[in-house]
Amino acid sequence: MLATRPPAAVVEVQSPLVGKQAPTIHGTTADGSTFVLPRQTGNFVVVNFFASWCPPCQTEGPELVKFAFQHSQSGDARMISVIFEDTTPAARSYQATLGTTWPTLADPGGGLALSFGVRAPPSTFLIAPDGRVVAYIVAPVTAADLDQLIARAKATGA
Amino acid sequence: MRIRHFPLWTVLGVTLVVALVIGGGVFSSAPPTNAQRAASIEAVIRCPSCQELSVADSTAPIAITVRATIRHQVDQGKSDQQIKDYLVARYGSVIVLEPSTSGWSALVWVLPIAGGLVGIAVLVVVLVRRRQRGSGDLDADVRGPSVDPVVLAERRHFLTQSLADADAEFLAGDLEDGDYLALRQRDLGRLAALGPAMATTTASTVTTTRSASATVSTLPATAVADSDPVLESHERQSSARRRGRNRWFLFGSIGCFVAALAVAVPLFAQPRLPGQTASGSVSLSPSQQLARSLDQAAAVENAGQLGQAAQLYQAVLTSHPDNEVALAQLGWLEYRIGRQGASPSLISDARVKLSQAVNSNPGDYAAHLYLGTFMLQQEGNASGAADQFTLFLTSKPPGAVVAQAASVLRQAYATAGRPIPSGIPTA
Repeated sequence: MLATRPPAAVVEVQSPLVGKQAPTIHGTTADGSTFVLPRQTGNFVVVNFFASWCPPCQTEGPELVKFAFQHSQSGDARMISVIFEDTTPAARSYQATLGTTWPTLADPGGGLALSFGVRAPPSTFLIAPDGRVVAYIVAPVTAADLDQLIARAKATGA
Repeated sequence: MRIRHFPLWTVLGVTLVVALVIGGGVFSSAPPTNAQRAASIEAVIRCPSCQELSVADSTAPIAITVRATIRHQVDQGKSDQQIKDYLVARYGSVIVLEPSTSGWSALVWVLPIAGGLVGIAVLVVVLVRRRQRGSGDLDADVRGPSVDPVVLAERRHFLTQSLADADAEFLAGDLEDGDYLALRQRDLGRLAALGPAMATTTASTVTTTRSASATVSTLPATAVADSDPVLESHERQSSARRRGRNRWFLFGSIGCFVAALAVAVPLFAQPRLPGQTASGSVSLSPSQQLARSLDQAAAVENAGQLGQAAQLYQAVLTSHPDNEVALAQLGWLEYRIGRQGASPSLISDARVKLSQAVNSNPGDYAAHLYLGTFMLQQEGNASGAADQFTLFLTSKPPGAVVAQAASVLRQAYATAGRPIPSGIPTA
């Protein structure tokens, strides 16, 4: 597998959104239902922008599944995916091979990507229970990376 | 007529007013339309997923999204700054291509203005001094019993030099007869008025007739013959100072020229995209835009950023669905990515695009090579692959490409039980 980006540990990048309230997340999911994320969810939310054609996304896919499964037990974090510059059928097909169970938003006009300032996939945002963005990663993440970021956010009072 | 006789203040003033009028947009009677405003903003917003391209110049999907957002917000009546602030709040200040007007970046804006103001101030001072010297009693400061002899000697030297300059200009044809005579009469009068200490010699003469209307003779063309050793010493010091000043001006000018070259040469020498000017602005025809998009995609692909390259080729296909280069390259990318990620849908898409590419342009050697490789490796169809490779070889591919593909070509022909063409090099 091609590694076009360095490891996540060194590519948590600056974003004007970090420390601020996350943009509103609402739209239509890949299966056609309406989705709205409350301003304050009460638990951590991982928002992952991805595309089926993106090799780094394919690298992190199984890790996201692992993360979602682990935290579905504890209930302290949840996953949301947003399709970035990809067709919904291709994205759904890709996710079906991964076995994802979380909501995936179609973003046909790119409005969600723009509101989060996404440049390329994969881009992952960690949103704290109070609705603030606490981390922005532009690389394949692992479940361990996300756990570390959540632990750091908790340690700083998020 | 020489510029010396123009009212310089008038020339300067008129130039300044014209510049301000044009620069201030006085002649642009109508306010910009929403489309013009949107275009001007798009030109200074960086494409988030590209290298040094504005969203106006990019065909990346995210750039299209940004353009749509800008136009929407312009239509909503938001100001340019509000729209830029909206984007900066999401992408950071790097999203704006033009330098910031605050912090250190503001120097980019301030320094040229400051430099211009300093230049104008220097010009004003020079002109005021020249005007003071050129009007009224020019030598009032060197009259009277208490005049410093050094100052007096300097004035004499200046006038003598002025006469010599006038001679030279006249001989060179830069000065008309009437002007020359007037200048000469004035400076000679001033020299005479400086008093008995003025002991001129006519060390040389200029006797020249340039026209029937003017005959000039017996001009003083050398410096003052003053025997006062103090004055001579001071004269030498003044001359040395002047030479020193001139030397600094010369070095400064050369330094500025070299600095300008240092900036300009890399700017003009660096590789540019088709239609891109040295300043970075781009005005492209549709075919140039297409060529540039393909170049950009190829560069990204060669850099190993396959996902981004795929986006760029896809963007080309959005506007040019039959472009064989984009079809072939995207098909090949999808095939490679699909094989790495074991994605049947991507591999299936790749097959469709490669077939479209060879149908769109049967003479495109790369499309035949890609499709043949796909058929051999993915479908196990050596005979079909050999057919494609035959078309590849008859499309006159570069020798380096043939050499690079030699092993897969040989494999296809051997597996299909066909003779290996002579043009394929051995491993």
